Amino acid sequence: MANLISRAFGGLNEVRRGLATVFKHTFREPITKNYPDEMPDLAPHFRGRLALTVNPETGDHLCISCKQCERVCPDKCIEITSHKSPETNKLELIDFKIDHGLCMFCGLCTEVCPTLCIINTNDFEMADYSRESLIYDLKKLTLSQDESAFYFDRKEMPLPKPKPAKPAPAAAGAAPAAVAAKPAAVPSVAAPGADAKPETEAPEAKAPADSKTVEVKKPEVKAEVKEESKPEAKPEAKAETKTDEPKADEPKADEPKA
Amino acid sequence: MATEIQEIDLKTDEMIINMGPQHPATHGVLRLLLTLDGETVKHVEPVLGHLHRAQEWQGQNRTWFQYQALIDRVDYLSGMFTSWAMARSCEQIDGTVVPPRAEYLRVMVSEMNRITSHLLWLGTYLIDLGAMFGFPFYPFREREKLFDLFEEIAGQRMMFNYIRIGGVLRDPKPEWFDKLKRFLDEFPDRIDEYETIVTQNPIFLKRTKGVGILTQAVAKDYGVTGPCIRSSGIPLDLRRTKPYSVYPELKFDVITFDKEGDTWDRYMARILEMRQSIEIIRQCIDKLPSGDIMGKKQMAGMRIKAGEGFAAVESPRGILGCYVISGGGEKALRFRWRNPSFCNLSVLHELLKGCPLSDIMAIFGSIDVILPDVDR
Repeated sequence: MANLISRAFGGLNEVRRGLATVFKHTFREPITKNYPDEMPDLAPHFRGRLALTVNPETGDHLCISCKQCERVCPDKCIEITSHKSPETNKLELIDFKIDHGLCMFCGLCTEVCPTLCIINTNDFEMADYSRESLIYDLKKLTLSQDESAFYFDRKEMPLPKPKPAKPAPAAAGAAPAAVAAKPAAVPSVAAPGADAKPETEAPEAKAPADSKTVEVKKPEVKAEVKEESKPEAKPEAKAETKTDEPKADEPKADEPKA
Repeated sequence: MATEIQEIDLKTDEMIINMGPQHPATHGVLRLLLTLDGETVKHVEPVLGHLHRAQEWQGQNRTWFQYQALIDRVDYLSGMFTSWAMARSCEQIDGTVVPPRAEYLRVMVSEMNRITSHLLWLGTYLIDLGAMFGFPFYPFREREKLFDLFEEIAGQRMMFNYIRIGGVLRDPKPEWFDKLKRFLDEFPDRIDEYETIVTQNPIFLKRTKGVGILTQAVAKDYGVTGPCIRSSGIPLDLRRTKPYSVYPELKFDVITFDKEGDTWDRYMARILEMRQSIEIIRQCIDKLPSGDIMGKKQMAGMRIKAGEGFAAVESPRGILGCYVISGGGEKALRFRWRNPSFCNLSVLHELLKGCPLSDIMAIFGSIDVILPDVDR
């Protein structure tokens, strides 16, 4: 009987101690994050959505169509279309498709890429309404110049070497220089992309580019930077599609060439 | 009084009941075919294969480089260990010497992974026992902090792909070690908290003490490994009995209890292992040498010399072995995994025989089975 009573009281005491610990948690700071309002602080090497970078200084597309990523992909979710240019005898990128519905974000493609073109961004919000819309094509994958600069800086990747023909000034001077140098010479995908940039992007582009380099060190600001740069990507991408097909008679795209 | 006598005399037919595969407490998709006599379990037969993904076959149809990214999915709670087992068996064939810094990093991340795995087990086990509010998410809080650290070095929270053939993927920055030290300083207090809530709780003791006793003979017969066998008094810890990597240089003891282990002992063994892992990580941080992290540069088209190799590591669930035959090409000829969960699960019907229906989840949860690891 005495044993039973002591056991009962011992048990009650244990329960009290446990509940006291639980009660203490009431006064602790919450550890949860208000996710949609407050973006998580992701590490620079976080393996998120795949994207293609452009040269942050000149805006040239970095993909050289070597198809190493296509070969290494365990899920076979990358599809690259390219052809050999008759003029320069170099491979030219026509389309780059990644099926993010198949991708498992292993990051092997980013490891083998010789030009650091394909990267894992910190974006993870890719929910969509259909499976077809998860297949991203070239215009959807290519990042803007600012975003590329942001990721090159954040992932501490060495900047691509500038091509010998062009002068390599700072980001501010790069765009006009490219317009002057290019028009007739290089008819690749990269060229119209660079041409279109000064018109659509140059005015707003410089301010965030400068502020980003300062802000990157603070992780909290990162989310805001990303949101800023997202809407910019769209007009840029549109400009590229227009210029992708040289025959399309869009006055805007053809102007700098003529 | 007459009714009582009738009840005692009453003979019931045995009844066969399906438990799972969609049962919330089966940790995935395990189907148990229970033969019940009233409330007592007469026989139990686990039906496996609901999560079979042909992991071994995939290894034979992918290059070494590609398969490394997949094997984290064999046991999703302890991806570092599956990577490590494969890396070690391939290094054995190739004769690659892993730099000491990489070895220390491997031990560190693996012990961190052991902690995360045990923390998840602790939370879900308490859910299995019916603690539905509050507590089960306390371990997840600490687990999340470790996952943030993993994310920094490996890129993802659970599918790390960090330990590679020949070394490790990335050298952590000095800030990373500071964060890890900070975590290690606060973590023992957190374990104390869990223990205050759980260890001596009378309901928890009632559910676990003397339930599901695993005798040494049965454990040996079925090839049980990991905390399950150590809590039954057999000091089988691969880190000590057949030391690999840099474990001989680290100081720690094998955790055993000198008696037949019941469910509570298996709980206690895991709690003590978490404390032990903290000490091991601390020693690793102190001893970490500088130098390279990759013995041989990894390439997409890497080849392994012809030959065969077997390597085993002590994963949170037991001995995880990987057997490889290489033909010298880009792909393996044969992969074979020795998964601790599969062997530990086979002992289930011995443990469950004669126990009441309500104890099934208490016992099944205590052997810490991960279903993808069973089916692979």
